[in-house]
Amino acid sequence: MIAKGSIVLVALAATLVRGGAFTDHPPSAADIVAAADNARNPSQPFRVSLALIEYRNGQPHDTTNLAVHSKLDPNTHQYRNIVRYVAPPRDLGKLVLLNASNMWFYDPASKASIRISAQQRLIGQASDGDVLTVNLAHDYAARLIGEESIQDADKQARSAWHLDLTASTSDATYSRLETWIEEGTYQPIKSKFYSDSGRLLKLAYYRRYETQLGWARPMEIIIVDAVDAHLVTKITYSDFRAEDVKDEWFQREYLPRFTEK
Amino acid sequence: MRIGIFLIAIAMMVAPRLAMAGQTADPIPAGVLDESRKTSPPTSSSTFHAKVFLEDALTTSAFEDGIAVPYPPALAVSWQDRASVDATLQWKPIKSLSFTVSDRANLYVQDQQAFISRDTIRNDFREGYVTWEPHTSVYLEAGRINVRNGAALGFNPTDFFKTRALVGQASLDPSVIRQNRLGTLMGRGQAIWSSGSASVAFAPKVMSPSPVIESDSLGVDLHVDATNAAGRVLGTLSVDVLNLSPQLLGYFERGRSKLGINVSRPIGNAVIVYAEWAGGQEKNLITRAIEFGQQTGTLPDTAPVLLPTSTSTTFRNDVAAGFSGTLATKATLNVEYHFHQSGLGGGDWGNWFDRGSAPGAPAALTSQLWYLRAYANDQQEPLTQHQGFVRVSWPRAFVNDLELTAFAFVDLRDGSVLSQVSANYYLSHRWTASVYVSSNLGAARSERGSFPQRLSSIVQLTLYL
Repeated sequence: MIAKGSIVLVALAATLVRGGAFTDHPPSAADIVAAADNARNPSQPFRVSLALIEYRNGQPHDTTNLAVHSKLDPNTHQYRNIVRYVAPPRDLGKLVLLNASNMWFYDPASKASIRISAQQRLIGQASDGDVLTVNLAHDYAARLIGEESIQDADKQARSAWHLDLTASTSDATYSRLETWIEEGTYQPIKSKFYSDSGRLLKLAYYRRYETQLGWARPMEIIIVDAVDAHLVTKITYSDFRAEDVKDEWFQREYLPRFTEK
Repeated sequence: MRIGIFLIAIAMMVAPRLAMAGQTADPIPAGVLDESRKTSPPTSSSTFHAKVFLEDALTTSAFEDGIAVPYPPALAVSWQDRASVDATLQWKPIKSLSFTVSDRANLYVQDQQAFISRDTIRNDFREGYVTWEPHTSVYLEAGRINVRNGAALGFNPTDFFKTRALVGQASLDPSVIRQNRLGTLMGRGQAIWSSGSASVAFAPKVMSPSPVIESDSLGVDLHVDATNAAGRVLGTLSVDVLNLSPQLLGYFERGRSKLGINVSRPIGNAVIVYAEWAGGQEKNLITRAIEFGQQTGTLPDTAPVLLPTSTSTTFRNDVAAGFSGTLATKATLNVEYHFHQSGLGGGDWGNWFDRGSAPGAPAALTSQLWYLRAYANDQQEPLTQHQGFVRVSWPRAFVNDLELTAFAFVDLRDGSVLSQVSANYYLSHRWTASVYVSSNLGAARSERGSFPQRLSSIVQLTLYL
């Protein structure tokens, strides 16, 4: 009798340990998301270089290099970004200003600033650069689905909180997200991004964590296009550094004057 | 019984693994995680920036005989090849000072022109100016500067420095035309703050105006007599309010001073609406063209009135309003309405065709009638009063490296159309191949249908260095 009970208890304990229920009260969904935001986005103004390699059927096809200059707006809690094209040569110097609903595309060849919509922002590889500074804690209402073990991009098993995020502001880029955050480290492992209609648009895997600007941050994100199964984009970060990003930069009038500092 | 419990225990330990395996059909293809492939961004000096490219464009055109108003034969060029070197350079030796130069040197070979002629080499010195930032986000600059304003695509009433600034073009697409545009000699000051900006620009008169169609003996003319033939002042105020991004403009030029405003606003996630208005006291297009022609010697002082028209100066309005929307295919659609009050109305067009098609109409008269249209083009203003504009841009169309664009200007009075379809194919990071095909469609006595150039095509190759 005691032997039977022991086996059941051991089996039950194995499940409970795997589920992580032996931890203290788990943090709230909002706390988890806020901590994960810290991993992706420095709290101080910063710039980072991005190399976006587009893979078609597993083969590298195209590369775009961007420089992103970012600053959190303390009033709206939204990240304001200037995305500058560094390569390929035909796009050199083009700029995209992302400031909530005030978004502009600037072409130095014509010196024209064209206002763009949120949907236009999602066209092209530069849109993947915007995945970086999505402010999940502010733009989404989070719900903890549970604790799971999932494989990361390197097929390593990771214990993670599985959260469902629903857009709670009109500025949210995506209608809904699912995200898996590693327990304990609060490092994002994987995310899914959905359209307004509920269609899965992208999967993102976060890897190669390094300490940058005081926090362990993913230096590589793999974005799988759920619409085009043959398309995968790898975003590699480099030259992460704090920068004196001024509020005046986020005006369309400033775009013709913007140069790399 | 013991075996059953044992199996349950095993199942409870294995179940999470099974669940995990079910979640993770690997969507990442092999090779994507290859650590050996690393891409570093191109390194560049923070004090010097350059963008240089080489370009060749071959244009062929089919002209139609028997049009309503005979076209000057010398202007009917059936083919042209343009080879260009285009460079934009910026040097910032210290934080508060920068020098900018933008230039294109062209070699032209074309029908009806000797291989070596004064039109073989033409240089377009677009910009050359110095900028000083005496205080954070306060700028003072002087030189030839391309100042561009406006929210619309096909017509910009508030883009006051657009007049006489166009030079050789590969495409008729308004978005492309403005890539090779001359700046204006001016002194300019601008202040930018977190919620807006203000600027004032003064462009002096430097020379008397050049005629509308002119070739230069050396081919390196700065065309200052086109861009600085009148003293002009422009003040702008941009503010961030109600998500409209309004820009207010005040423009002074003797005989053509105007006020203007342009606004834009997103509607939902996929649509941008925008509008521009400019208004002021001026003469109509026909009167201005005649007076300019007489001033520059294109038209004799004693020329009879080309077309009966009012020569009075009255308040006239220009409007461009429209929207852009993102389609499911990730293409962008722009639709606009243009109103140009001083343009040709129905009666004016009737007179234009009646005069030009009259039996025995002298060549001098028909040339002058076509000069009227050349003047409007030189001023970058619509010829007609009511015009529609539609444009579709489709990046990554069918294949990843192909971008398709199509647009049409529609004369809303007579339904005639100027249209163009273009394809840009990115052969590599540095090479781009482009094809443009444009056509003028409409009845014989319509704005576009009266144009002799029925069909033209351009094949262009660009190498970015």
